[in-house]
Amino acid sequence: MGNWLEPKYTQLILHGFMTTLVLSVCAIVSSTALGFLLGLARHARRRAITRAAALYVLTFRNSPLLVQLLFWYFGAATLLPQAWMSWLNTPHPLAVGGLTFAWPSFEFVAGWVGLTCYATTFVGEEFRAGMQGVPRGQQQAAAALGLTPFATFRYVVLPQALRIALPPLAGQYMNIVKNSSLTMAIGLAELSYASRQVDTETFKTFQAFGAATVLYIATIAVLEAALLVVRRGGAYGRHGGAR
Amino acid sequence: MSVLEQLHEWWPTLRYLLLGSFPQGPLGGAALTVAMSIVSALLSALAGLAGGIALAMTRGALHFLLVAVIGLFRAIPVLLLIFWTFFLMPMLLHIDVPGLACVICALALIGGAYLSHSVQAGLAAVGAAQQQAALSLGMTRWQALRYVQLPQGLRIMAPSFVNQWVTLIKDTSLAYIVGVPEFTFLATQVNNRLMVYPVQIFLFVAFVYLVLCSTLQWAVGRLLRKPRRIGSKGAALAARAVVEHRAARHDAGSA
Repeated sequence: MGNWLEPKYTQLILHGFMTTLVLSVCAIVSSTALGFLLGLARHARRRAITRAAALYVLTFRNSPLLVQLLFWYFGAATLLPQAWMSWLNTPHPLAVGGLTFAWPSFEFVAGWVGLTCYATTFVGEEFRAGMQGVPRGQQQAAAALGLTPFATFRYVVLPQALRIALPPLAGQYMNIVKNSSLTMAIGLAELSYASRQVDTETFKTFQAFGAATVLYIATIAVLEAALLVVRRGGAYGRHGGAR
Repeated sequence: MSVLEQLHEWWPTLRYLLLGSFPQGPLGGAALTVAMSIVSALLSALAGLAGGIALAMTRGALHFLLVAVIGLFRAIPVLLLIFWTFFLMPMLLHIDVPGLACVICALALIGGAYLSHSVQAGLAAVGAAQQQAALSLGMTRWQALRYVQLPQGLRIMAPSFVNQWVTLIKDTSLAYIVGVPEFTFLATQVNNRLMVYPVQIFLFVAFVYLVLCSTLQWAVGRLLRKPRRIGSKGAALAARAVVEHRAARHDAGSA
């Protein structure tokens, strides 16, 4: 395998892949939490809240992620107080139970914030669609059974909404993984960045981009498989719950 | 400083962002973004229609191969596909392909891959009964597709097309990475030169994209709100088929 990349470069690509995975997981967790709140906000009784949520979705959905990332990276640095920036830029390693977490670079934080703000709009819309997909009769039936509004939401609407929203949500999570490649524009050394770096250093373009392509496809495939497993598990769970 | 003076001071920058160095040099900035969006939107629509029809019409190994290829394009980031086209196109075509063409090609491929599934789903939503009815009227499979299924299907697919085109407008910003002087690229250039106005510059850029995307959504929404009669030629063909069919039955009955 004389044509394959040297170990040094394989390392570089694997390190980039790890960064992509960590960034994706962080963005998935935060955008799910915020997206859920956004989905609720779009169904809120107060007009002001629904308007604000709709405005948020409009602005963040209709401008490119790349521009948003550049804004967070270049713009936020000038908007934030100097003290905050220096705090962000000095490492504060976090040690939890023997594991030491490295302090993220400012590129990572900007990328995370940018990805989260962008993905939240999409995740939120999936939650909203899921909640809309639950028939009104379900709520009325729950109310007729004497459930409180909260219990109705928690035990009747939410489980069904999640089941409806799950496949499109998985699609959004795949988009987050793919979109994380844009953070290379602000200098985060993730998978695309690493493969391009290896390309310029070794001129083994085919191997460098090929490795990145395979890793992205593998990640998407794993997510796809996870969706299948969860859905099947959900179906069994529903059976168990009915008894 | 008055607003007018400020505008006068900022005008060259604004003009550069919107048009690039246009009359003197090549088109750039927001104008190039619009041009790129239009070309790649048309190409992706063509690719999507072709892919979707192929998905709907094929069976077996060929169908599986198509699904795999389309799945591949959907699974990799746009950025990576841009790298690939940037690297492979000059190699395969043996000519010097400009970055702009590579990006348009990558965007058309990705958009086409996503639209293929929308087109297939749209055709499926029209229903098998429509196709069977058309076939029983004596149309060929292509005629059924062209005059019965597609006109109805396109109406169902329209929202997917708009969504994909909005994504496409946003994705043209990725041309920045290979140095195409479109809007985002010029914005970073201006930002690097001025250094002190990143917030204003990127807010302005985001706002222009917002206007572009919203305009597209609004325009297509308006266009679709007024229900037009579907393909008059198809309706005529179907009507004629019905008449001929009846005539034939009438002949058979009277004979």
